[in-house]
Amino acid sequence: MGTITTKTGEEQVVVFQLSGQTYGIEIGAVVEIIRMETVTALPGTPDFVEGIINLRGRVIPVMDLRARFGLMISYHTVDSRIIIVETGTTTVGLIVDSVAEVLRFATADVMPPPAMLDGTDSDYLRGIILNGERMVILLDYTGILRAAEIEDLRLVHSQAAEVS
Amino acid sequence: MLFSDAEVSMFLEELDEKIQVINENLLSLERKGDHTTAIQEIFRAAHTIKGSSAVMGYDKMTKLTHELENLFDRIRSGSLEISTQLVDTLFEALDTLKELQGEITGEGLTADISAVTAKLTGFLAGDALFTGPPQGSQSANSAVSVQRIQTDEITEDIIREAELRGFNAASIRVQLAPDCQMKEIRAYLVFETLQQAGEIIKSVPTAEEIQEGRFEREFSLIFLTRDDLDQVENLVLSIAEISSVEVSPLHIQDTVAPNAPAANQANSETVSAPVNGSVNNEGLEKQSIKTVRVDVQKLDILMNLVGELVIDRTRLDRFAEIYEDRHGSGDLADSIMDISSHLSQVSRDLQVEIMKARMLPVANVFNRLPRLVRDVAQKLNKEINFVVEGKETELDRNVIEVIGDPLIHLIRNAVDHGIETPEERAAAGKPRIGTIHLKASYVESQIMITITDDGQGIDKEHVRHLLVDRGLCNHEQAARLSEREIMEYIFAPGFSTAGSVSDISGRGVGMDIVRTQIEQINGSVELKTTPGQGTTFSIKLPLTLAIIKALMVELCDRVIAFPLIYVVETIIIRPVEIKHVRHCAVVVVRGKVLQLLRLREIFNDLPAGDEEKLSVVVLGSGDRRIGIIVDKLIGEQEIVIKSLGVYLGQVPGLSGATILGDGRVGLIVDARHLIKETGIEEVAYAAAY
Repeated sequence: MGTITTKTGEEQVVVFQLSGQTYGIEIGAVVEIIRMETVTALPGTPDFVEGIINLRGRVIPVMDLRARFGLMISYHTVDSRIIIVETGTTTVGLIVDSVAEVLRFATADVMPPPAMLDGTDSDYLRGIILNGERMVILLDYTGILRAAEIEDLRLVHSQAAEVS
Repeated sequence: MLFSDAEVSMFLEELDEKIQVINENLLSLERKGDHTTAIQEIFRAAHTIKGSSAVMGYDKMTKLTHELENLFDRIRSGSLEISTQLVDTLFEALDTLKELQGEITGEGLTADISAVTAKLTGFLAGDALFTGPPQGSQSANSAVSVQRIQTDEITEDIIREAELRGFNAASIRVQLAPDCQMKEIRAYLVFETLQQAGEIIKSVPTAEEIQEGRFEREFSLIFLTRDDLDQVENLVLSIAEISSVEVSPLHIQDTVAPNAPAANQANSETVSAPVNGSVNNEGLEKQSIKTVRVDVQKLDILMNLVGELVIDRTRLDRFAEIYEDRHGSGDLADSIMDISSHLSQVSRDLQVEIMKARMLPVANVFNRLPRLVRDVAQKLNKEINFVVEGKETELDRNVIEVIGDPLIHLIRNAVDHGIETPEERAAAGKPRIGTIHLKASYVESQIMITITDDGQGIDKEHVRHLLVDRGLCNHEQAARLSEREIMEYIFAPGFSTAGSVSDISGRGVGMDIVRTQIEQINGSVELKTTPGQGTTFSIKLPLTLAIIKALMVELCDRVIAFPLIYVVETIIIRPVEIKHVRHCAVVVVRGKVLQLLRLREIFNDLPAGDEEKLSVVVLGSGDRRIGIIVDKLIGEQEIVIKSLGVYLGQVPGLSGATILGDGRVGLIVDARHLIKETGIEEVAYAAAY
């Protein structure tokens, strides 16, 4: 589900930049890509939850993928985009540095993720695509959108608050 | 499974509706005895269920409703009288039908229909003995037997309508040859032949009975056709083994017509929802269907789209301003403003209409209650007159879903604890029959539901004793409680005034749940009681959960909304007025202490600089009050509540979000939670001081 297969064994990903690295997310999960817009911050949510936006009358939570992956936080630029991702009942916006293209690749070309990858939690990775000279990190979006995870994080958050 | 979920759920929805129709009309039958409209309604509902359950393959349901239909066909032809025994059996059949429904939804166990169908057929059989003969024995006198086919109200309506459309109505009596071997086959052929030339709208005996061969050699039909009646006669005669056919034109006197609708209106008890898709197999009735079912989600989407329109209008406004700045005012700028204001008018109307489409009459819940009262009263040997008023009052679908349980509980309580036994009532000089009055009405922009009984009321001294007995407070405390406080305790967890735990109520859970459920949808419940004269519960509910009135405030550059029902007042204070009691900031307002919280602290924002004046929103629920310091008050506004979505779940301090006129997102404060968690009772605080 969620994967658009063009030919047998071929997939497409939306390729985006995050902190100088190239990532890909399966195109089937992507509803649309919008420019950065005003995000209303929410109290009592994990740091990576940037807030909520109004997407044509729908309220949609937005997370900063840099913060999500523990990468260095930077200001949003004119190139910043929000990738709206949908799985089942959950719709979430992901803030990325820029969106480059749509890439086709053979499923067979996906290599398993290495154990350590620049701070990115390997739970959210499907693998690595080698595309000529380039290396694209393929995200497992279901891992990112898992709603239960936010509960865990909230718990950690509140415990941390109690300690301090 | 052969049918999709959507189809099954549509069937279930229709089933629900029809069961409700049967229920209502049975109750009215029981009350008023012979009642043509009610009988007709039940017959039609049973018929519809029979048809659709047969399509869906729910055989047991088809069988049961078939029996019901047969029985009601007898009742409406006047050959079976309505007795208490019959009504009880019919209620039993209805319960079995509900069990079958449960079987389909998976909520119930396998239901057994054999016992109740046996009872139903018992009535049919007993009846057959005394109505059987006329059909056959009078065959000699054809004139009389043609008249045996009675035209009831519905048939008359159809005929009248058909006549308007150029159909001729005819009464046809068909007699089969005495040596006819397979009479049902011959009859079937007659039906088939006639169907090609027009429409059979009624037959005596019923089509089912004829198909099963349960008839003598003759049967009568009412037939609508555009063809010449002689031609029809020839057509039927062309079928083999038909001994005689009599076709006589049928005319309905128009005098009945004006009365019928009036009678329907006056009798609000039995008239059910406007033809909610009760598709009769008579195609002629099709034009009366004026409702469609729409998924609430679709309405939500429409609502969102209207919101989009509003945002675009705001943008258009801004564009007009910019245009005016650059190019000076002129025709073009004016017409842009015109378009914008027209757009806003249209989008507002659209929003209102969509909101209305989400509304359902409260009858959806109320209609379940008469049966409840009947059953409970019968069990307790009480005599109760249950009066329902304001069924047509409309409420948001979500609200209707929630108030069912609390209402059932309150009504049960009224029957169980409120109304006394007839003997007790007589002894107290009251009429033997108690009255419970259920009423819904609009009060300002809310709906008010009151449940009034003329029973024994609640004795406050008795409650005082119980409070001590149950360990909820000690003697001194109990003695000091005011009347209002005592009544408050009735809603406390673990409290029940029932002398003994009965099957019906009095398990000590209930009233607290009633209150919680009502408060969850931003409603409130109060009670008034006079010992010996009765008790009244008043429930106030919002018309809708989707739109609320809110007080909008500003915080940094965010807009925050407080649901207006929790806002007591807004006040302006100076920072020097703030005092600190232990670690709480408080302020004295009109001699009372008010605890203060800064909204900035709740939202983890930086504290504001020194201001000379602070705006405070005072929130309250019951006796609890809390003051919230905000940056700036904006004003009141109606807002559409949006959930924050599955991903974020419950965000502490917030109950949702809303989209503002300019497209920004505003946050809605969970005021109820805030008051509950941090609010302090005024009285307690004043005492501590």
